Amino acid sequence: MKIKAQMAMVLNLDKCLGCHTCSIPCKNVWTNRAGAEYIWFNNVETKPGIGYPKKWEDQDLRKGGWQLKDNRLSLKAGGRIDKLVNIFYNSDLSTIDDYYEPWTYDYGKLASSPARRHQPSIRPVSQITGENMDIKWGSNWEDDLAGVTETGGGDVNFRGLAHETYLQFKKVFMFYLPRLCEHCLNPACVASCPSGALYKRDEDGIVLVDQERCRGWRYCVSGCPYKKVYFNWKTGRSEKCLFCYPRTESGQTTLCAHSCVGRIRYVGVMLYDADRISEAASVEDEKGLYPRQTDLFLDPNAPDVIDAARTQGIPEPYLEAARRSPVYRMAVDWKIAFPLHPEFRTLPMVWYVPPLSPLASLADADSPETIIDRMRIPLTYLANLLTAGDVEPIRLALERLMALRSYMRANRLGDVQDDETLHRLGMTPEIADAMYNLLAVAKYRDRFVVPTTHRETEVEPHEFQGACGFS
Amino acid sequence: MMNTFAFVIYPYLALTAFVVGHIYRYRTDRLTWNAKSSQFLETGALPVGIILFHYGVILALLGHAGGLLIPQRIYDAMGISGHSHTLVAYYAGLLVGNPAFIGILLLLYRRVARTRIRATTTMNDFTTLALLFLTVGAGLYNVLFGHYEVLYTVAPWLRGILTLTPAPELMRNVPPTYKIHILSAFTLIGFAPFSRLIHIWSAPVGYLFRRLVVFRRRTVRA
Ligand code: HEM
Ligand code: SF4
Repeated sequence: MKIKAQMAMVLNLDKCLGCHTCSIPCKNVWTNRAGAEYIWFNNVETKPGIGYPKKWEDQDLRKGGWQLKDNRLSLKAGGRIDKLVNIFYNSDLSTIDDYYEPWTYDYGKLASSPARRHQPSIRPVSQITGENMDIKWGSNWEDDLAGVTETGGGDVNFRGLAHETYLQFKKVFMFYLPRLCEHCLNPACVASCPSGALYKRDEDGIVLVDQERCRGWRYCVSGCPYKKVYFNWKTGRSEKCLFCYPRTESGQTTLCAHSCVGRIRYVGVMLYDADRISEAASVEDEKGLYPRQTDLFLDPNAPDVIDAARTQGIPEPYLEAARRSPVYRMAVDWKIAFPLHPEFRTLPMVWYVPPLSPLASLADADSPETIIDRMRIPLTYLANLLTAGDVEPIRLALERLMALRSYMRANRLGDVQDDETLHRLGMTPEIADAMYNLLAVAKYRDRFVVPTTHRETEVEPHEFQGACGFS
Repeated sequence: MMNTFAFVIYPYLALTAFVVGHIYRYRTDRLTWNAKSSQFLETGALPVGIILFHYGVILALLGHAGGLLIPQRIYDAMGISGHSHTLVAYYAGLLVGNPAFIGILLLLYRRVARTRIRATTTMNDFTTLALLFLTVGAGLYNVLFGHYEVLYTVAPWLRGILTLTPAPELMRNVPPTYKIHILSAFTLIGFAPFSRLIHIWSAPVGYLFRRLVVFRRRTVRA
């Protein structure tokens, strides 16, 4: 057993209001530079939709992530030799038009325009060429289902569903999906980099691009199935979400999580067994990937785990944080959080609580359908997004969330508690109370349990004062 | 005098700039040490151009190393006569020179004609391509129309430069297009460390041997 610690996040989609607040501080701090204008380490997509970049989820097209071929785990885009031979031109690379061409406006013209009969107007100007341009796509182009009748068919999460049905007004559904780098346990970007510039930090699993070693071979960009490594067109180097490590090292949470108005985000530490990574990523049946990944996580309260972790040098603050990890509770204890597209086989570490949705049809006593089946967002859609198509774990999670609501309602109104349902779902009043506290009212300290690292033991802080990884 | 400057002093200046320049740049400016790929902005003529160019140029460089740096008397000893050596060089030159040159034309075309590429091309990028155009163009011209015997002139001169025993008189009667090829090549060598050509040294062969997923441990300060 090789124990490692990993920073992880859970996003409760049931509460995301799609306000994009999370994206703004991230943008302001990390990608507010020439060449990075189009880069959003955090962006919020509306589902259904094809996203940013277009069709990032469609790995038949994008060739990101891993595949199981001849029972062996290999990069979908091809192995080492394949990469070196084709290094001059990466045929899987998405281009800027799949994201969007960054633009600005000549605002001065508004002020300098002489008095006219009509308001002056200005045209978008490309930040690359400086010429007038038409805006054709963007990181939130499909906000609130805009254009989904055109693009919806390209959403791979409709697999097994007749997507036309759900694009009709009567049946339509939507929810928001905020996305960031998954800081995977089996990162395809790291494995794809010929220069070895990408790496996982041993102490907290954060995946970074070494800006001094990146040579611009751009295989990480195509290799990441979530398209969360970006190519800076000005510097010729790759950049990606850094999980705000300068903040987490001092015990603060990430900017996206801190700023989230819906308070949907949770950050915590997970302990896992690194010896079983390749085994967990190589499960033959895609539906087995989610449960196997959950099995990798070690119980932070188990004495043998704590002992082994101490012997292997995991620092005490990490063990302490792991014991209080909100991520562990939602992902492992309560099983209400799921990895995004586990079938990419990267073992992602940003997990999602699936959203409840309004009922789309009236109850029919003769039908075996439960309330969960009658919700507007089809279970299958959520399952395609979060469990490689296995609806049962999603159903259980949604049932638990519903049971929690009934429990709280009964509490408030002094109704009779439906203990039987709680029991059937493996819940107790104590669990329900704990879930309520974490999901609804938890304060900063409980939503974000981030251990401090003593960075000053590693570098001379004065030398790094004012330095910045990107330039 | 001109001859000595062009074929002794200039090559040494270029080689000095090459060595010192690379060391200096690697030590001071690692953040721009990359291939500056433009694929993300515009593909168009890139795939065909870049592949023809790279395979052409890399094989041409290997050909130069094999054909010019190894003395003919070693080939003689191996039973390869000067005549057959020249013949092989001729056909190999055609085989790699043509794609390299077509590749450069395509790359130059997109640098000039495609808006996004033009907007992101620096003088430095353009100079690099122009020098390559001149070098490869003259080289291909020599293969096609030169028919000058280099085995006992240019080749020993080049070895003289590299072994610090320069013999500029060997270059005196060499036709002008060969001189252009050589001088632009040395200009390119001297310019390389200050251009995007530094990416050549980062050819990532280590990828074949390392483990796929890299972990980096913190190093604790003593
Ligand atoms: C040894 C291995 C080499 C590798 C792996 C390599 C790789 C690359 C890559 C990935 C690009 C970026 C292409 C793009 O825009 O997407 C590039 C561009 C370029 N390479 Fe290389 N290269 C190598 C050797 C060379 C050599 C030997 C030369 C010339 C002497 C050369 C000259 C160039 C030039 C001029 C460009 C810019 C082309 C343009 O965009 O106009 N490369 N190379
Ligand atoms: S800030 Fe929070 S609620 Fe708003 S879009 Fe981002 S994740 Fe959703």
